[in-house]
Amino acid sequence: MHTSSETKSDRVIEVNDLAKEYRVYDKPEGLWASVRGLFHRKNRIIHALRGVDLSVGRGEFLAMLGPNGAGKTTFLKLLSGIITPTRGTARVLGHVPWDRADDFRRRFALVMGQKNQLWWDLPAAESFRLHQEIYRIDPIRFAKIRDELVDMLGVSHLLGQPVRELSLGERMKLELIAALLHEPEVLFLDEPTIGLDVVAQHTIHEFLRHIQKQRSVTVVLTTHYMKDVAALCERVVVVTHGSILYDGSLEQIVDRFTTHKVVTLDLENPPAAGEMERFGFSCEVHGPRVSLRIDRSRIADVLPKLLASQPVRDVSVEDVPLEEIVAGLFRGAAKRQAGTDPDQEVGAV
Amino acid sequence: MRRYIKIFSTFARACLVRDMTFRVNFLLECLTSLGWMSMNLAFYLLIFSFTPEIGRGSGWSREPFFAFVATGLIINAIVQTLFMPSASELTEMVRTGGLDSVLVRPLDAQFLLSMHRFDFSSMANGLVGLGLLIWAVLRFPVAPPLIAWLLYPLLIVCGVAILYGLIIMLAAATILMGRNQSLYDFWFYITNFSRYPAEIYAGPWGDPLRTVCTFVIPILLVVNVPAGTLARPLSGEAWGMVVLTFAAAGISIGLSRIVFQAALARYRSASS
Amino acid sequence: MSTTANSERSLQASHGWFSGVRSWWRMLVICLEERLAYRTDFALGTVMRFLPIVTQVFLWTAVFAASSRTDIAGYSRDNIVAYYLLTMVTRAFSSMPSLAGGISRSIRDGSVKKYLIQPVDYIGFLLASRIAHKLVYYIVAILPFAAVLFFCRGYFPPAPDGLTIAAYILSLLLSFLLGFFLEATLGMIGFWFLEVSSIIFAYMLFQYLLSGHMFPIDMLADIPTGLTGVSLADIVRLLPFEYTAYFPAAVWLGKITGWELVRGILIEIVWLVIMIGVCRFVWWRGTKRYSGFGG
Repeated sequence: MHTSSETKSDRVIEVNDLAKEYRVYDKPEGLWASVRGLFHRKNRIIHALRGVDLSVGRGEFLAMLGPNGAGKTTFLKLLSGIITPTRGTARVLGHVPWDRADDFRRRFALVMGQKNQLWWDLPAAESFRLHQEIYRIDPIRFAKIRDELVDMLGVSHLLGQPVRELSLGERMKLELIAALLHEPEVLFLDEPTIGLDVVAQHTIHEFLRHIQKQRSVTVVLTTHYMKDVAALCERVVVVTHGSILYDGSLEQIVDRFTTHKVVTLDLENPPAAGEMERFGFSCEVHGPRVSLRIDRSRIADVLPKLLASQPVRDVSVEDVPLEEIVAGLFRGAAKRQAGTDPDQEVGAV
Repeated sequence: MRRYIKIFSTFARACLVRDMTFRVNFLLECLTSLGWMSMNLAFYLLIFSFTPEIGRGSGWSREPFFAFVATGLIINAIVQTLFMPSASELTEMVRTGGLDSVLVRPLDAQFLLSMHRFDFSSMANGLVGLGLLIWAVLRFPVAPPLIAWLLYPLLIVCGVAILYGLIIMLAAATILMGRNQSLYDFWFYITNFSRYPAEIYAGPWGDPLRTVCTFVIPILLVVNVPAGTLARPLSGEAWGMVVLTFAAAGISIGLSRIVFQAALARYRSASS
Repeated sequence: MSTTANSERSLQASHGWFSGVRSWWRMLVICLEERLAYRTDFALGTVMRFLPIVTQVFLWTAVFAASSRTDIAGYSRDNIVAYYLLTMVTRAFSSMPSLAGGISRSIRDGSVKKYLIQPVDYIGFLLASRIAHKLVYYIVAILPFAAVLFFCRGYFPPAPDGLTIAAYILSLLLSFLLGFFLEATLGMIGFWFLEVSSIIFAYMLFQYLLSGHMFPIDMLADIPTGLTGVSLADIVRLLPFEYTAYFPAAVWLGKITGWELVRGILIEIVWLVIMIGVCRFVWWRGTKRYSGFGG
């Protein structure tokens, strides 16, 4: 099957200076503006992706984070060959994705949390069989993999129902099974846990982690939930305004972008007002429970003093929550963007 | 190829199951399309109460004309059953981004997009068309020769192919423009020209129209040539039209393929 | 569509006569903006709508040529061309795109509920927004219409006298109202049946055949009905359908004059009054049934 010019190294995804621009037409506001619009139209160029470089090795589990409209989905669409870029190159499994070679398309899968890929009116079992035909999966192998995946997610009772009658969580499980039937080497997941309840999210985390370990699938995941990232990914890429802001491990993101630790204390007695502020800032007091932020470099000095100052029942020292770090990153990027906004390239056609 | 046939039959089976689940609706759809057709037939009967034929010396007297109408019914039934439902769903797929999941499959996108949904209720008209054809041919003054009977099904296929090419090119326009209300109206209006014999397009306005609809958008070949082969003697000119129809079918399919691929390369994908 | 939502909101927010007019004006402007935004589609669509007439004209020309007649049911070939063009004008008034479908959809998805709890008359609201839509349509469509009619002026007989023109305009306005109440009533069948699309389609079928959209009703004058002395045309003339296409066109062409014209307009008014009553009644029964179900 692997007839194509696969790269010698184990780089599964290689992206260089990948950029995508859209031209959009502004609908003019107001009656006279629309009349004027009859004669000439204004258009604007949206830079969805501004020259991204990225390289992903075999078996990596990579998360892409970013606010809405950052370009994550555009990136996945480019890598799966749905759209063609304005400039730049990409190789996935040695193929240029937007050539849409069958040999390439047989070796990856794309799951989109917001879109349904199973055939809406068919029961999932039929959809699976259709996939067997479409992906030319050997019947025996197909049955084996299908049963394995169905067991793992415990959805055997759902296979006979038309997909449109299922709940979102049930559907997502079946979508994942459908995507994995042909044993893809690369899996693109676009917000796979969006709108799911905690239990379903957890099941899907477990499932993905297991599959990824067992088959060493290369996974690229976009998400808004830090839980997904914390549960699954070693590597995190933060995207804002179509550019990569950070690319590294999850631990490093904490090291690099935070200067503080969060210390939570359970005291014997509620502290006196103003008592705790001398140890750290952003002090929150809820009865006998106190949480504060302490500079990382000072924590070894401050902590013993803190513990000595009051009778303490319990103490915990944690990193700043990931959500907060990432939100801070997004905000910082947004501020920089607001200064000089190159999005406003307005011209008439 | 075998794989494509199997996928095709899976879709067909699923659509049939779906239609049978909503049986009442299916029957109502059959009835309404039959109603629409009988209304048209009534109109033609009314016309023949005023005239012995349509177009002086054209040979389209009552029975041949009804054979023409029957041929149109059969061809349209095939197109409506096999291609139209998928094509009209394509608009929705472009709008919602459902096209994305088709593009990542290792399967010809044009195949998947033009043949994944069927409307079996449209076959009702085709069956009536078949009955009408037999009724009309039995009343022909001269029975069609064997060669006409051999050519007829082939020409029907050609007619379907020409229409298919047109649908695909309109679908390609959908992908390029993102939205296409007028385009399907356009489809309706353009095929409207193929409803009547080509001979009615005569005179200073009709002649150029006939030329355009024969050679540029070969919509007039679709029904006229198969029906004419049965209803009228195969003269030299008629043979020319037969050859032209085969060529037009090939070109239509080929061109639609090129246009569709070009449109897919420019697909923008709905944002989200 | 967000603009319709906007216009609904602005209409509902209105209190009193003056603000009613203002919000109605606002709705008009929004409709016009929407049309202009999709101008290419619109211009193309309007011109395209004349294409079926082209085939009809060629068909009838071929029929006249083959039969060597100059007159079919009182129509010359030029008359027929003019007739089809005039039915297009009538349809521009009497056709109500997506009115019945929209009503039945709002019943099915429950959005009609808000008219049960708000102090807004649903039928009145629909009529106002339909008038706005139509006005906008005329503003934009008048150019293509005028161009086509001017281009085809040779097919028309000399313009009729002032009284006939007045009767023509009256019958056009009545055809708008009759078309509105017919289709609104049809949509409200949705209170009783969930899937109305087949019923709407069946109605369209009859409408198309019996309104004279396909051919002048006069052509049915020789078709017997089984009753002595009563032709199919006589029956059709008593139905409301012909007023949505045939009647105004025939008035302009001078096919209906004198006592017949008065009778025709009277029948049209009677049908309009009946349909207003039926529409109100169906709405009243339907909402009663609807709230009885608990939505």
